[in-house]
Amino acid sequence: MEKRVLITGNEAIGAGAIAAGCDCYFGYPITPQNELTAYMSRWMPAEGRTFIQAESEISAINMVYGAAATGARAMTSSSSPGISLKQEGISYLAGSELPAVIANVQRGGPGLGNIEPAQSDYFQAVKGGGHGDYHVIVLAPASVQEMYDLTMLAFDLADRWRNPALVLADGQLGQMMEPLIPHKMSRKRNLPPKDWALTGAKNREKRVVKSFYPAIGELEEYNKHLASKYRKIQRRETRAEEYFTEDAEVVLVAFGTVARLCREVVRKARQKGLPVGLLRPVTLWPFPTRRFEKLASRAKAFLVVEMNAGQMVEDVRLATSCRLPVSFYGRMGGGVPEIAEIYRRTRKLLMAVSIKAAS
Amino acid sequence: MVTTEQAVKQPVTPEEYKSGLKPVWCPGCGDYGVLNALCQVYHRLGLKPEETMIFSGIGCSSRITGYLKSYGFNSVHGRALPIAMGAKLARPKLNVIAAGGDGDAFSIGIGHFPHACRRNIDMTYIVMDNHIYGLTKGQLSPTSPHDMLTTTSKFGSIETPINPILLAIGCQATFVARAFSGNIKHMVDVITKGIEHRGFSFIQVLSPCVTFIGKDQFLIIKNLLHYLEDDPDYDPSHRTSAFHVADEKDRISVGVIYQKKKPTYMDQLEILRQNAASKKKKKLADLVEIFRP
Ligand SMILES: Cc1ncc(C[n+]2csc(CCOP(=O)(O)OP(=O)(O)O)c2C)c(N)n1
Ligand code: SF4
Ligand SMILES: [Mg+2]
Repeated sequence: MEKRVLITGNEAIGAGAIAAGCDCYFGYPITPQNELTAYMSRWMPAEGRTFIQAESEISAINMVYGAAATGARAMTSSSSPGISLKQEGISYLAGSELPAVIANVQRGGPGLGNIEPAQSDYFQAVKGGGHGDYHVIVLAPASVQEMYDLTMLAFDLADRWRNPALVLADGQLGQMMEPLIPHKMSRKRNLPPKDWALTGAKNREKRVVKSFYPAIGELEEYNKHLASKYRKIQRRETRAEEYFTEDAEVVLVAFGTVARLCREVVRKARQKGLPVGLLRPVTLWPFPTRRFEKLASRAKAFLVVEMNAGQMVEDVRLATSCRLPVSFYGRMGGGVPEIAEIYRRTRKLLMAVSIKAAS
Repeated sequence: MVTTEQAVKQPVTPEEYKSGLKPVWCPGCGDYGVLNALCQVYHRLGLKPEETMIFSGIGCSSRITGYLKSYGFNSVHGRALPIAMGAKLARPKLNVIAAGGDGDAFSIGIGHFPHACRRNIDMTYIVMDNHIYGLTKGQLSPTSPHDMLTTTSKFGSIETPINPILLAIGCQATFVARAFSGNIKHMVDVITKGIEHRGFSFIQVLSPCVTFIGKDQFLIIKNLLHYLEDDPDYDPSHRTSAFHVADEKDRISVGVIYQKKKPTYMDQLEILRQNAASKKKKKLADLVEIFRP
């Protein structure tokens, strides 16, 4: 049997980063992700890597900017208020086409909010977050194992596409403990060489890392280049998990912590013979639009469940072109949707669509 | 969120300057001393709660705003100073105090500190320095001593700590003092002088974190204290002496370390406004001349 370790989700992000060969981690304490910073302080030096508690989140993301420019695998992490502070740096990273990994262990907002789990940074994560026309690759883990696996994947995706990748977790996933199988990084990953990295221009042409295109028309050309890269990422890197969707009439849609609850709801519903399924986007950007298009021709309704006031639901409505009813159930400010309540709403929706079909 | 407290009747005892909210600080935390001292300062100066506003960032120490019966603004981590400056500039008649921890002041918020010092806006900044991040459970602070073990310096800190007093004098603050939360009477004197000072006053209060550093801090600090008031030769207007005191390694001097008279930002702003107004008038008049048919 493979070796298993029992650790928190926050530590699993750290373990995944170290396994992925993260050279530099720059952090700043904030609840509920402090275990990650503490883990990196313990284990990065032991691996001969670099850990620094920066003086602020702004400093941390800019240290990432500098390290990434030299071709190092660099990472930072925080929770919601700190991620807001990092947005300037993330925009510059995207604008300079530099790979970097950022983890957001979300808590409630806006403002100081509280330290309870939330999913209220969805918009910020998937729509860009900072200024300018850009996207960050967003991965949404739903278990401690995935905190590890998707952090590793984030490093590869970042390198492959020369783009920041964000692991969007929440306080619940960060704090809970589950057994983890610490896989090694696979050898055949076929990543492009970092022939843009600033390593000293001895015996070669100089390289330039920049996000500044002042000449007339130059920036638009560059924006077009970025847009075409984003389209490629959408085609190739979309990931989602489907659970009992083949014959589902009502499809639950959820990510992260909430997806775990919805999976339980589907299990219960199936035991009762009810045609209910779950679609769980694993990449929140690129959003699994195709899957929705396909399901929209079979299913009768979607129920989107989130720990916010309704954010991903907008993307579900866009993805289905409002062809079928999309309901929403959300809890906020640290509230976690209850399985019984999701189940009740699912049944109600199922009844409504069956009546409609019969009449 | 702004917590507004109705202007109730003027408190007559120091105790009445407390809001009544029970502090969530650990038993024995140094910050209790600072709260008690502030109540006595408010009482001594007869401050009106409705004319006094205290701003803090985020941290255990920053919770102090909620425990006082004045206007309180528990704001953004590291941003107490710009928010307090904004309020003071908009409402110059308010007594403005900013307060918070060492992380708030000298890590995330450090960029604001030199500018607050050099602008000399008439307000007081009290930093409860415990050399650690209390609220987030014991991480390294920019004032943590070299070698200190914390949850984010598992093998001892390899960084050189910031010396807040040196920094403040270097940044041209016009009042720089240090107090110890284990001596409330002395702290009351120091903070009172700070609030009475016209201009920006900075007070570092050594306020031990008993949970993440330990109770013995009180004794360790107490044994190293040197009261500047006891030294008849010490002249706080002498900048070089102040630097010297700030740089001491073998003892901890408390009291007013440096003080200088200088026009406040508001004094200068008033003159600038008058200048601007007179020049504006002249320009308008000139324009009228130019366009006269
Ligand atoms: C932008 C942002 N980053 C991080 C935090 C988390 N945080 C809250 S208080 C604090 C540090 C507290 O240390 P200090 O200022 O020394 O106050 P103390 O608790 O020691 O009194 C941190 C890192 C936050 N609230 N906001
Ligand atoms: S953790 Fe430390 S600073 Fe915070 S209340 Fe407790 S003793 Fe005070
Ligand atoms: Mg502190």
